[in-house]
Amino acid sequence: MSENILEVKDLVKNYDSYRAVDNISFSIKKGQVLGLLGPNGAGKSTTIQILVGVTLPTSGKISYFRKDFFKHPQESLQRINFASAYNTLQGRITVKENLLVFAGLYQVKDPMNRISELLEYFEIRRLADHKYWDLSAGERTRVNLVKAMLNNPELILMDEPTASLDPDIADKTLSLIEELRRDRNISILFTSHNMSEVARICDEVIFLDKGRIVSKDTPQNHTKKLKEVEVKIKHKNNKIEVEEILKKEGLDFEIRPKNMAVIKTSNEKIAELIAKLNDKKIVIIDLEIRKPSLEDVFLEIARNKK
Amino acid sequence: MIGTSHRRIRALVLQELYLTRHSVEIFFDTLFFPLMSVILFGLIMHFFGQVEQSTNAQYLLIGILLWQIISVSQYNITVSSLWSVWSHNLTNIFIAPISVKEYISAHIIASFIRTFSIFIFLAGGTYLLFDFSILNIGILNFIFAFINLSLFAWWLGYILLGYIFRYGTRIQAIAWGAIFLFQPLTASFFPVSTLPGWLQTVAYALPPTYVFESARKSIVTPGIYWNYVVIALAMNVAYSIFGLFIFKRLFRRSKETGQFARNDL
Repeated sequence: MSENILEVKDLVKNYDSYRAVDNISFSIKKGQVLGLLGPNGAGKSTTIQILVGVTLPTSGKISYFRKDFFKHPQESLQRINFASAYNTLQGRITVKENLLVFAGLYQVKDPMNRISELLEYFEIRRLADHKYWDLSAGERTRVNLVKAMLNNPELILMDEPTASLDPDIADKTLSLIEELRRDRNISILFTSHNMSEVARICDEVIFLDKGRIVSKDTPQNHTKKLKEVEVKIKHKNNKIEVEEILKKEGLDFEIRPKNMAVIKTSNEKIAELIAKLNDKKIVIIDLEIRKPSLEDVFLEIARNKK
Repeated sequence: MIGTSHRRIRALVLQELYLTRHSVEIFFDTLFFPLMSVILFGLIMHFFGQVEQSTNAQYLLIGILLWQIISVSQYNITVSSLWSVWSHNLTNIFIAPISVKEYISAHIIASFIRTFSIFIFLAGGTYLLFDFSILNIGILNFIFAFINLSLFAWWLGYILLGYIFRYGTRIQAIAWGAIFLFQPLTASFFPVSTLPGWLQTVAYALPPTYVFESARKSIVTPGIYWNYVVIALAMNVAYSIFGLFIFKRLFRRSKETGQFARNDL
């Protein structure tokens, strides 16, 4: 991949004796989508707030486009943007007025045209003259994305952009983000509590816990680190008989009602397990294999099992 | 480096004008309530004018009219930023490449536009309803009064805003309440000599005191009281520098403590 758009080195943020961000370092390359995940209080929001300059770090270095952010804040901010479910636009004025204000702040050339083009792209042209606070959550998210795209940024920091959206609108919003990335090769730093969203759009995921980076990898590799697979079977045998067989085989299992059993094993041993159950004359009528998801990794970290 | 941008300043001024157009609260706070105060004081002046010296009665109307310059200007500096806080839009603005200098300049320009327009309306209304012209104090006196009172309102507004950024909306009432502390302290409706001795010392440390005193004097003996004008201007310049220093410190501290980002949540 090409040059680093953002480089974070040894970032620390202390609030008195509490360390919210603990010596984290990472970078984002052009066109890359990096996910920042972690339980509440992990330091995600603080990190994003520092990255956009609304919170000052205790120590550490941030560079955008190879330039020190703290020495060249305006230059950096001119080339990036931010979208969040928590920061909204001015509620009492219209969508178009809000966007004209931000077009001015980002010194956008031919602002009316740019706003029109983006409203069209996000399919919300009809909302231009509506007051921002009259919009639904999904419409606001789209308007926030238009604002985030006004200056044609090379990097967008997205802090839970789909929070509080219903699944349908969240899916459409994600599709728009995917499209943006595909069409304009934008880099994105993305935080979310929704693991399937992160797995869907991120190239790489950083797990934060207690302000520290505990893991950094692709979503696929993250899930591979968790070896445990759940095999759920529905059988025709007697419940007690199945329980005895599984116990005798030394398996980690759970007997459930309606002739169901959930057996925990590793990915490599699934075939062997099925063969073994077959040998023991357990008649399987339905089988479901649940491989670890990013959510399981998240839960592992959140529960400090690692 | 990116220098100061007129387009960014204009964008924020535009936001203030859009807000004025759409907000009933701003209409009431900056036009209706001041108008009611002026009408009330006009009626009081009319009543006092019947029973005692009309110059004493005029002091009241001069005081309330000039006070509106402070009140509306300071409101426009401090409360305007609160509109952004209440809309969870403040961090969006500061995530844009805007400098503190541009932010302050924009709010001062917007404050001047609003205050000047409102003052013309109030002064015109007073002339029509009570046959009293604020220009009775002299045009030059009025211009200096407007400048000095605006400067006072701006630096005071920025100090108050700095404290709101630093401590959050739990102290937001100071945005519209703190100014009333200065109404008696600056002797806006009566001569400074009315105040107890130690309060006179405090009053003379505040620039508006000189404006109100010279306005009252010029009603009795027309002319420009340059010593008052110069003292008020010098104090305002010094306090403006001090106010900006305080604002910048509080702004930085609010970013260090994380309060600035929390203000918007």
